[in-house]
Amino acid sequence: MSIESIADVEFGAELPAFECDTALSQTSQFADAVGWGRGGRFTDHDKARKEGLPGALVPGIMGMGFLTTMIHRWAPAARVEHVDTVFRAPMLADDPAHISAVVTDIDEEEGVAELDLTIKNDADETRVFGTARIRLPT
Amino acid sequence: MVDIEDLKERFLNLEFDTQELRIDPEKSVTVARVTGEVLPEFTDPGHEDFQTPPAMLASLAAGRHLPIDFPRLGGIPMDGGKAVTIVRPVKPGTHLTGRTHLHDIYAKQGRSGRMVFIVSRMEIFDADGDQVAINDSRMVVRERPDA
Repeated sequence: MSIESIADVEFGAELPAFECDTALSQTSQFADAVGWGRGGRFTDHDKARKEGLPGALVPGIMGMGFLTTMIHRWAPAARVEHVDTVFRAPMLADDPAHISAVVTDIDEEEGVAELDLTIKNDADETRVFGTARIRLPT
Repeated sequence: MVDIEDLKERFLNLEFDTQELRIDPEKSVTVARVTGEVLPEFTDPGHEDFQTPPAMLASLAAGRHLPIDFPRLGGIPMDGGKAVTIVRPVKPGTHLTGRTHLHDIYAKQGRSGRMVFIVSRMEIFDADGDQVAINDSRMVVRERPDA
């Protein structure tokens, strides 16, 4: 169902997920774009392991990017007013990341909805969780 | 152990860093593209509402997180998370100013000891001095018992 206004949003609805590309080539581009590309933590598995990490990481805020993208794909008219992400454990580059979001509150008069957000790995372990507040046409 | 109330009294709400900022439009598009973004407002610099995605705004908070005289807490600081509040869309390429202060300090008792959370807040203003966004960065420090 296409979400065009707050009236289209249902409490408890789960947003359709998309496949997040966590390939090292993508995390590298992201890290370079935000100025975190030096050092290899997000761009090179070997260099990251030398730092004591299990491998190159997906930048935490890249997870935030996947989650806000999921919101925009679900409701192109939605504007993310606030997004809060807790980095519970590292996400590894080249490892699958599974995103999900559910509608937890709706204010139809204001055109505002609240969402719970989660990113898990293949082992169903939560890596990132958070919330978002979005605004839609009334 | 560090006295949290003392830290709050000494450091909360005191601005300790100011940065002049400009978001590179091409890099903003890269951030949008590699996170799968499809809306042209974020991927097309020619769009009339071209704007910065929240993740790019969150990256602006990666400067200095603590006042220069903030005491060492003994443990290794970790990035505990980030929050972004968008007051109005931020167009890449425009002049911005980021002013940072400590917004909150609190502790939680974990299984392996006390964790101290420090929330550093950057308030971002446009060239007219109007606030456009707020970035919160949560730093987590697992205290060493002897700290």
